[in-house]
Amino acid sequence: MTEKKTPLLDELEKGKWPSFVTEIKRAAVRSASAAELLPLLERSYRERIGHWKHGGIVGVRGYGGGVIGRYVDVPEDYPNLAEFHTVRLLQPSGWFYNTKTLRTVCDIWEKHGSGLTNMHGSTGDIILLGCKTNEIQPIFDEFSEAGFDLGGSGSCLRTTNCCVGPGRCEHACYDTLDACYNITNEFMDELHRPMWPYKSKIKFSGCANDCTSSIARSDCSVIGTWRDTLIIDPVAVKEYAANGYPIKSQVCDKCPTSCLTYNKETQELTIVGEECSRCMHCINMMPKAIHPGKEKGATILIGGKSTIVQSAFMSWVVVPFMKLESEDDYEPFKELMRGIWEWWDENGKTRERIGETIYRLGMGKFLRETGIPPVPQMVFRPRANPYVFWNQDELDKSGTMLDGSAL
Amino acid sequence: MQKGPASPEVKAKIIAYLETVTKAKSRDVAVAIGEKKGDVDNAVKELTAEDIVEYLYITTTYICLKGKVGAPE
Amino acid sequence: MAVVKAKLDQGPPNYKEMLPPIITENYGKWAYHEIPSPGVLKHVSESGAALFSVRVASPRLVSIDFIRDICVLADDYCDGFLRFTTRNNVEFLVSDEAKLNPLMDALKAKGYCIGGTGPSISNIVHTQGWIHCHTAATDASGVVKAVMDDLYEYFDTMKLPAKLKMGLACCLNMCGAAHCSDIAIVGVHRTPPVINHDVIRKGTEIPSLVASCPTGAIRPDPKNKSVKVNDDKCMYCGNCYTMSPGMKLNDARNDGLAILVGGKTSNARSAPSFSRMVIPFLPNTSPRWPEVVAAVRNIIEVWIANAQKGERIGEWVERVGWERFFSLTGIPFSDMLIDDYIFSRETFRTGAAFKY
Repeated sequence: MTEKKTPLLDELEKGKWPSFVTEIKRAAVRSASAAELLPLLERSYRERIGHWKHGGIVGVRGYGGGVIGRYVDVPEDYPNLAEFHTVRLLQPSGWFYNTKTLRTVCDIWEKHGSGLTNMHGSTGDIILLGCKTNEIQPIFDEFSEAGFDLGGSGSCLRTTNCCVGPGRCEHACYDTLDACYNITNEFMDELHRPMWPYKSKIKFSGCANDCTSSIARSDCSVIGTWRDTLIIDPVAVKEYAANGYPIKSQVCDKCPTSCLTYNKETQELTIVGEECSRCMHCINMMPKAIHPGKEKGATILIGGKSTIVQSAFMSWVVVPFMKLESEDDYEPFKELMRGIWEWWDENGKTRERIGETIYRLGMGKFLRETGIPPVPQMVFRPRANPYVFWNQDELDKSGTMLDGSAL
Repeated sequence: MQKGPASPEVKAKIIAYLETVTKAKSRDVAVAIGEKKGDVDNAVKELTAEDIVEYLYITTTYICLKGKVGAPE
Repeated sequence: MAVVKAKLDQGPPNYKEMLPPIITENYGKWAYHEIPSPGVLKHVSESGAALFSVRVASPRLVSIDFIRDICVLADDYCDGFLRFTTRNNVEFLVSDEAKLNPLMDALKAKGYCIGGTGPSISNIVHTQGWIHCHTAATDASGVVKAVMDDLYEYFDTMKLPAKLKMGLACCLNMCGAAHCSDIAIVGVHRTPPVINHDVIRKGTEIPSLVASCPTGAIRPDPKNKSVKVNDDKCMYCGNCYTMSPGMKLNDARNDGLAILVGGKTSNARSAPSFSRMVIPFLPNTSPRWPEVVAAVRNIIEVWIANAQKGERIGEWVERVGWERFFSLTGIPFSDMLIDDYIFSRETFRTGAAFKY
């Protein structure tokens, strides 16, 4: 019935890149379900179709997400995969681990599941691939006892994530690790008890390099920036020059706003601060000599999502600059998010992401109803058509000519 | 979501409504029973902790009486 | 049965307990970084302390044995600390420079792949595919493995014009930010679902199934106690199959892969951009997808030959023009590459200046 040979998958154990097939084979030594995943996958490779069904199960008391129901569509051939659910666990900020924590994950998962994982899922969670329905609550109980919690699934705040931030990056304009941890803990209800039209994501990137790709992958992108002028260290510039680094061609000529000037004679680099758009290019090129300014914070952008349904959206600016230096600074961010989510929950259709709701109803309405002030930083360019939906209540509705006679 | 203990009356109305359907979005429950959505969400939180109601994730999140929707056929 | 009192809502493990001492001591005080060799980052603090990170390839789908193995290495060389990257690789965090070369030697001896820094490809962010997803039009891990084997020379060197960030999504729901990647590989279904009326009659709530369709292509069929699909409206998203296994979307003869290029999420130099479709369909040739591998290599080689230093793929194409992209790569153009969905007009050329 379930042929043990996997000639097609074996082809994927060749070559230099580490092989997931090898990993499944390792798990298969101790797990009957992992052992059955091999012939099932071999069958998919032979037939060129998948064999999974989705189910709505969550299965953890008090939780509305964190488990994704998966069932094989040919359970008679693969009884150990009849139920093969995914469990999502919240990862530590920045995916930093001590080995004790990682071994705890392995030990509990060895006991209750397939031994297969994703480190990590696209949204950021620790993904545990493949367990039976009756194991879900015991898995949660043991992980909970060991200090872990479930991630998000369904129409909730999904698991948040952040870049490496001040833990190991000189560019970080705010503490992404702490902001992610603090704000995630604040919104436990929103994360664990799905109540919205659809999913909502937040990602924290420490600078405009956006290493978490927050602008493409999250409904709310928190991208580090600064308000004053970037800082140039003239001594370090001279060191780059002495080492023959092509400052003019690689840095100044590529600056999108042409705000940098390099004087080859004096080996001086100067900036017109007001013209700089803070794109990070020069800082990336000369990390020893150019640094973000002192007045640091983040830009808040809303609306990012993948293709389904209205096309992919990238997040757009709603707050150009917000200070995020301390816990007190997180409060205005949390208030902003509560207001935005409330508006979306009120106005959004089922399975409509927040960006789609704003697009359908208009940015103007969104801004007026959430009380966010419009600023030019929100748009690349203003509208080209004159079709403004004027608020009639703000106009003179007296219905008379200028001389007071009837219209 | 509202905070604090949920109204027993709202909880009873939610259970009564869920008995009439397979599954529902919490917003539709709120409209059907004439309560504020925030109050319904808060009551559902308690009902799931009490093992009476459960969440289902099938393209979006629904709620249903515990055990009413099984595994896919 | 022993009842463990589970704690609800305790949140993620505290990251502060996961940081090696050198990071706790120099938190927020990093001054600059260098890349001494491919796969090795050196971060230097204002205090002068130096942290070395050694980046190692991961297939992302890993067994607990893999995790335990890297834990042994982290204990031996990194005081028990490591991290994973946004693109799913492993980083060993070495605070004692004397342990750097011994770690590298140990990694090489055990067959780990070191690389993925600077102007290189670090890994392909990808989805579940046939391993675990019900709407997958292709496998994810297998395509990634085949493409990364072929591109390996650009993983353990830093000879590309710029960073190469690739994504793979196994259906057009496009989990994994494939839509803003330098090169995206996307699984595509091309045929509407095939309805199994028996399955629908047995276990499907018809109103929910009708409502699950984002384009309104599904209508109730009361006579049949089932549903009908308006094929012209179907965009093959698989939502209906999520709702009911009676709406089978997988089609071995017609599912395959598309290639999109030129996206990025960084703001450096130019605004973040979407990837654009350049190959609408390639066949699902498991187990090693040679057509996809060859198409990706062709695009990368033409990029290397024509880009200026520092230019991401999208920046290069926008500089030379998309019409030049097609003439340089030899990729055939077709009407399928011209947008006819919601935001199409902005992609039409409203000017009379162009190249051949």
